[in-house]
Amino acid sequence: MENSTQESHLRSDNSITYESPYPIYAMAFSSTPSVANLNHQRIALGSFIEDYGNRVDVISFDPETLSIKTHPTLSFDHPYPPTKLMFQPNRKSPSSSFSDLLASSGDYLRLWEVRESSIEPLSVLNNSKTSEFCSPLTSFDWNDVEPNRIGTSSIDTTCTIWDIEKGVVETQLIAHDKEVYDIAWGEARVFASVSADGSVRIFDLRDKEHSTIIYESPQPDTPLLRLAWNKQDLRYMATILMDSNKVVILDIRSPSIPVAELERHRASVNAIAWAPQSCRHICSVGDDTQALIWELPTVAGPNGIDPLSMYSAGSEINQLQWSAAQPDWISIAFSSKMQLLKV
Amino acid sequence: MATGVQNQESVPKNLKKQLALAVRDIQWGYAIFWSISARRPGVLEWADGYYNGDIKTRKTVQAVELNADQLGLQRSEQLRELYESLSAGDSSPQARRPSAALSPEDLTDTEWYYLVCMSFVFNIGQGLPGRTLSSGQSIWLFNAHHAESKVFSRSLLAKVGACALILAKPILVNTLRNDSLVYVFMAGNFGNRLSQSASIQTVVCFPFSGGVIELGVTDLVLEDLCLIQRIKTSFLDAPQTIGSNKSILVAARTGNDKDLACPALDPQILDTKLSPLLDCEQLEMASPNDSSDGFEPNHPAEDSFMIEGINGGASQVQSWQFMDEEFSNCVHHSLNSSDCISQTFVDHGNVVPLCQGEKDNDNGLQDVEECNKTKLTSLDLRSDDLHYQTVLSALLKSSHQLILGPHFRNSNQESSFVSWKKNVLVKSQKARDETPQKLLKKILFEVPQMHDKGLLESPEDNGVRDAAWRPEADEICGNHVLSERRRREKINERFMILKSLVPSNSKVDKVSILDVTIEYLQDLERRVEELESCRELIELEARMKRKSQDHVERTSDNYGNNKITNGKKSSLSKRKACDIDEAEQEIDYVISKDGSTDNVTVSTNNKDFLIEFRCPFREGILLEIMDALSILNLDCHSVQSSTTEGILSLTIKSKYKGSTVAKVGTIKQALQRVAWKC
Repeated sequence: MENSTQESHLRSDNSITYESPYPIYAMAFSSTPSVANLNHQRIALGSFIEDYGNRVDVISFDPETLSIKTHPTLSFDHPYPPTKLMFQPNRKSPSSSFSDLLASSGDYLRLWEVRESSIEPLSVLNNSKTSEFCSPLTSFDWNDVEPNRIGTSSIDTTCTIWDIEKGVVETQLIAHDKEVYDIAWGEARVFASVSADGSVRIFDLRDKEHSTIIYESPQPDTPLLRLAWNKQDLRYMATILMDSNKVVILDIRSPSIPVAELERHRASVNAIAWAPQSCRHICSVGDDTQALIWELPTVAGPNGIDPLSMYSAGSEINQLQWSAAQPDWISIAFSSKMQLLKV
Repeated sequence: MATGVQNQESVPKNLKKQLALAVRDIQWGYAIFWSISARRPGVLEWADGYYNGDIKTRKTVQAVELNADQLGLQRSEQLRELYESLSAGDSSPQARRPSAALSPEDLTDTEWYYLVCMSFVFNIGQGLPGRTLSSGQSIWLFNAHHAESKVFSRSLLAKVGACALILAKPILVNTLRNDSLVYVFMAGNFGNRLSQSASIQTVVCFPFSGGVIELGVTDLVLEDLCLIQRIKTSFLDAPQTIGSNKSILVAARTGNDKDLACPALDPQILDTKLSPLLDCEQLEMASPNDSSDGFEPNHPAEDSFMIEGINGGASQVQSWQFMDEEFSNCVHHSLNSSDCISQTFVDHGNVVPLCQGEKDNDNGLQDVEECNKTKLTSLDLRSDDLHYQTVLSALLKSSHQLILGPHFRNSNQESSFVSWKKNVLVKSQKARDETPQKLLKKILFEVPQMHDKGLLESPEDNGVRDAAWRPEADEICGNHVLSERRRREKINERFMILKSLVPSNSKVDKVSILDVTIEYLQDLERRVEELESCRELIELEARMKRKSQDHVERTSDNYGNNKITNGKKSSLSKRKACDIDEAEQEIDYVISKDGSTDNVTVSTNNKDFLIEFRCPFREGILLEIMDALSILNLDCHSVQSSTTEGILSLTIKSKYKGSTVAKVGTIKQALQRVAWKC
């Protein structure tokens, strides 16, 4: 860690840093603890190498001893950088053997079974009719109420809902006019997506013909890059715009008017995550190397909302995960490092 | 006004007991006695209270069983202690509290309301207790949690509970200042739990022994002055003070007639004038379905009608109108509200006939005016705002973290995060002209293209993408994009194949590949030409050579055809392979053959021709030569021939028969023609 004055001073008892051999982007926390040691938290890290050969590594983290262990066998190749990684939420793994399900998105949605000491590819979910063409995925979300349902977003303007147990497509919707960049589940049958067309739309699988636009970016066609749905209070969502330092908080009951615009980052925002244990807190990271935790009041003061607390990393922070499995820890990724910070 | 200065000490200890008894008797939630402060004259402050509401956690020190009275008293004591410790500051509050003391998480919202009330002070004439004292009449606040803040400044507190308010600290001040209650936010954002659990829905204040007794309950209780009387007369042994304690029952209530007959009526009350004016009007305003329950709070338009004593001479209930946009004649958040109210009253007075009892219209109106004045003073809520703020901030300082819940510990000692400071400079490590959200954009824009394009990424395409940061997808709809993408993919594939076919190419870009391919093709063409011409010669030589050898073994095909057929090709190639040794000889042979083509000498002596001729032997060649010579009118009379190594040597003497002499050249040519005919 550099001894820069701007960087937050990290004590060894409240943070852990993992240095990866390559730059990291995708990151995921497992929802189930390891069989061997119940305290161990598994984290999957996806590399970002601008080439064909990329890797996904699974490491384990012990919050008690604050240590990180790497497992050379828990690693696999991935064609080009994985755009997102996610473990199955609320997984009930069979008691006989430990296995976790990891999904990765890139050219296709792939499922992997993460066992105690190996990772086996389970399936490749490809919806294209011809073998020569695929529609690459920008993101996906695993429904935590329906564990066999995954929704993917793609640059071909569609969102595809998969039943991964049967390995078939439940439905495919043309969600937007342009590429879809992120998707998030609200309930078992409701999801929202953001796109390059600058809109946040909510879809209900029971009524596939219609969607509700709940927000559109103020400058027309400013892409919205990321979306997060508050799982503790389903009325609220957060999104970020391209080249913007604002985190826009939306209330689905009052469409098109943001509840709040959190504007304290000094550069553009890269990722957002709602707190898993509180309905009112959200964290955001950005190019200004800062991770900010915000508490949303009911009515904003005249000068906007100030963050509750902050952390400065060594370089631009690209990824953020705040997992329900570890609500006391926030993990961030910048350049080749992954850091776990105590909240 | 009530000038009896009764400070706290003189309030007997019985008061608490009496309060306790009173509250328990009517089964309400709490009772508070506000008295004139000894320290600050003209101000009502919390003197004593008894809490009788819901309890979440019970904490007792001894195992001694207390009866209900004692338990209640103890609870109230504990709450008071908690308040004192919280408001005393945040210097190690935990240390000061005894082990059995309550901590903030143990409290229900109603308890919180009770506790926060301890902090309140009211100027005389302001706030519910203040107004009670100043007017000398009791005030029954129905639907208190929906009350306007002018009327009941703690209405927010009553509604949502202190927990919620504490969390909303910075907002409240603004809210109150605007004189408009933003219920939407309050109700929504704190969850239904909080907003309903602390709902103190009915509050009653009445003046008593120099102070004000306030009673509150979480249920909706209809106005019942009889109740107040009961409390006053039965339990409290207190002298009457000026202009107060004259409560009057709500008259003219069709449903509440029984109240009129309440046995506990103070005879004094009956003297007072009834002014049913407002009651009637209130009834009329109430829904048509005026049932025996009387007051219907479920109107869509109106949520509550609060009734307050108004009359100077007599206690009366006065109706307030709930802030509601549909009542256009009464805009509460303006200072004209008092005018509105009087207007309302006047209107109603005109509209509604007086129902029962004695009426005194003039008095009523007069009273309205009087009340308006007091209302005007109470419209200034600034002091209330500040009070609210200070109370909450005091409480907040000590209890903020705890209230947030055990899960969300924000204690700075443990966390990696520090409190946010506004002016922290963030060092810009790199030049700011770098692309914002670089990695995120790459993941979303570039990586999908990588899958599409394969390994190949030409610089010009990259350049275009960098400039626009957007793939071409934005022109037309999806199908076009898809087919275009497919086409590009195909093209790229072919380029890859081409690259692999062409040797010695280190560059990957399309232009280089094409260049190298062109070169390679041209080079190959040249070589092919060369090789083909070589092959022709070789073939010829091979044929020549083979003629001189064993003919029998050769098939006629080998000699006959000049054309290369497939079959011949194979035999040719076979021959080639095995005849490598002969090649040299053949070549030499060729050379020697070249020499022998000139080996025709013709010497002439007038008409005699001597021809010396050499050529490769073949069957029937002699005959052909003779024929050729005879065509030329040469009569051969002497021929000498020998064949050595496949070469025929001829010496021919001939006479020219014709008239004209044949040219030597012609003869040579003819002979050569024959010799090379094959």
